[in-house]
Amino acid sequence: MTPLIELAGVTKVLKGQQQPRTILSGVDLTVHSGESVAVVGRSGSGKSTLLSLVGLFDRPTGGQYLLHGRDITRLSERRAAALRSAEFGFVFQRFFLLKHLTAVQNVAMALVNGQGWLPRRKRKARAIAALDRVGIAHLAKHKPPRLSGGEQQRVAIARALVREPRLVLADEPTGALDTETGNLVIDVLHSATERGCGLILVTHDWDHARRMGRVLRLQDGTLADAGPEEVVRERAASVGGPDIGGLAAGAAGGMLGGMVVA
Amino acid sequence: MIRLSGRARSALIIGVQGIRARKLRTLLSMMSLFLGVLAVVAVQAGAEIGQRALLSDVELVQGKDGTLRMYLPPDPHTASVAIDALKGRGDAVASFTTSATIGEPGVTPINPGGAPLDRDNNEGYAGPAGPVFCDSRGYCFGQPAVNQPKGAAIQLSLVAMTGDIRQFQPFRPVSGQWLDFASAPSLGPRIVLNKAAAIGFARYRIPAQLSVGSGVDATPRIVGVVDDGNDQPTAYVRTDELLNWMPVDSMSNGGGLQVMLSPAATGELQVLRTRLIAAGIPAGQLQVEPIDAKKHIATELTLVRRVFLGLAALVLLIGVGGILNVGLATVGERVEEFALRRAVGTSRLLLAAIVLAETLLTGLFTAAAAVGTGALVLKAASTVLAGREPFLQDIGFPWQAGAAGVIAGLIAGLLGGLIPAIRAARIPIASIMRA
Repeated sequence: MTPLIELAGVTKVLKGQQQPRTILSGVDLTVHSGESVAVVGRSGSGKSTLLSLVGLFDRPTGGQYLLHGRDITRLSERRAAALRSAEFGFVFQRFFLLKHLTAVQNVAMALVNGQGWLPRRKRKARAIAALDRVGIAHLAKHKPPRLSGGEQQRVAIARALVREPRLVLADEPTGALDTETGNLVIDVLHSATERGCGLILVTHDWDHARRMGRVLRLQDGTLADAGPEEVVRERAASVGGPDIGGLAAGAAGGMLGGMVVA
Repeated sequence: MIRLSGRARSALIIGVQGIRARKLRTLLSMMSLFLGVLAVVAVQAGAEIGQRALLSDVELVQGKDGTLRMYLPPDPHTASVAIDALKGRGDAVASFTTSATIGEPGVTPINPGGAPLDRDNNEGYAGPAGPVFCDSRGYCFGQPAVNQPKGAAIQLSLVAMTGDIRQFQPFRPVSGQWLDFASAPSLGPRIVLNKAAAIGFARYRIPAQLSVGSGVDATPRIVGVVDDGNDQPTAYVRTDELLNWMPVDSMSNGGGLQVMLSPAATGELQVLRTRLIAAGIPAGQLQVEPIDAKKHIATELTLVRRVFLGLAALVLLIGVGGILNVGLATVGERVEEFALRRAVGTSRLLLAAIVLAETLLTGLFTAAAAVGTGALVLKAASTVLAGREPFLQDIGFPWQAGAAGVIAGLIAGLLGGLIPAIRAARIPIASIMRA
């Protein structure tokens, strides 16, 4: 079966003022439909950069990126935008909701992106359905400032799911939430994989990583380890890698970072 | 109905959402642009109204733009040939200008030589007191004044017409009525005075006796007053009514013979030329020239319009600066929104289009406000000032000014939005959206 995405030897080098800086080096990653993958690692290990490359926010400097077996390593910006719309859904630590729009309008904004056209009524119906999937359809008319952090993140997840993406990319989605709300958000994201959607979750929380099918650990831009959560966590501890406390400390800084976009 | 593409609709929807979300900023942009667009609207409207007013004045004296004019040489046959050839023709009128006196016969008129009557003292005018003769080039000369006692008489130019000349020279009615060319000719000539002549009749008690040349006396009936743009006292009369009192040949002696024809009356012109040549008039003396009233005023108007448009453009540029300033500040504030939009599949091009849509809509709204204000001001001005300025009567807002305002608003929106649009399109998603 053709993997959903396949990264082979992907490298990302940033051109510095004095010397180039390698962010990712030779990373391999394969994700199948319906599979969930957690990416862990210390801050600066390249997790978010990896997610940026997978989500076509950025281009790799080297290596190959296949989507449904097709090479998309070098794409035009326009084509990349079309694929972002059709294939991927994004959830961020900061919710990035537009405060002047209601919850349903925030979800529907993903449908007004120039990639095809849906009449207003259909847009609204799909946005309501997406909000229903994350359990907050009753808050459809509320604007972000009137929603709690967990509710805002669920609106953001509904926005990521409204176009029925093949792969959801979540970059520390629980970083700004308390444990209980964070678990709820992970539940919602996990349920998306039950419909055949892939999920890549960047997290500092081993409890959340445990719920994913596979865990990748990045260290200094390279893939240090991969496998089930228990195995990766044990090996990380044995080499002095991140433990729950270390990851949690990294996440603590984001606790107050939940925000809406002005 | 025009169906917009999905991208255009998306740009419009998001643009409108952006404007609604930032009403105060939009208002600030509009305020800086409003004066610029209003200046363009005012200049354009002023130029159009000025052109209309100037053209209207020029047409009163010279004739409507495009009208053909033929001067006839002073020959005993020209008047009779012209009257005969143009009889019953609606789109060609022959007119014969001669000097006449209304009032006591055998006296020196109040205004010797047909001087304007609104002067306190008409003695300064050194024009001829006797009949005036004009040559084919339009140069007029008269008989020297004869020593006669002063009396209650007004000397004026008498214009006899074969038809309604107002189709070529749109005289403005002042009072009474215009000559009725459809009715049977009256024995007593009905005359219409111009405003300059009417002044004399209002100021002095003038007996109703018309003298044309030597020995032709008739009792005229003044039926109306018109504004013909001429400050020389003038009276208009039907040719056939005047011919009851003087032979047709004497009309040719007075000079000032001309025929005005509509541009389409080429057939009438050909017939008239042929008959005049057959009557012995040299073909070289029958010159036809079109009246070019617009060209006459175009040069001076263009200069004034350019100067004011330059000033308006300067004010508009300040408005563009305002939009640019607010636009750049807004893009800076909306970095995350734009990055988010790109993350969900909006292309760079569409993002630029969204910003441009907002500034273009702002420009359009401003233009609508400026055009509306201009129209209201003009309406108010025409209502209040119509009594003093006749050209403001029944004046409508010129569509050219509205179009210029809309174009200025759109151009300002485009110029002011271009740099913010490029900035928005260049926002990197990866660095903004990371946790």
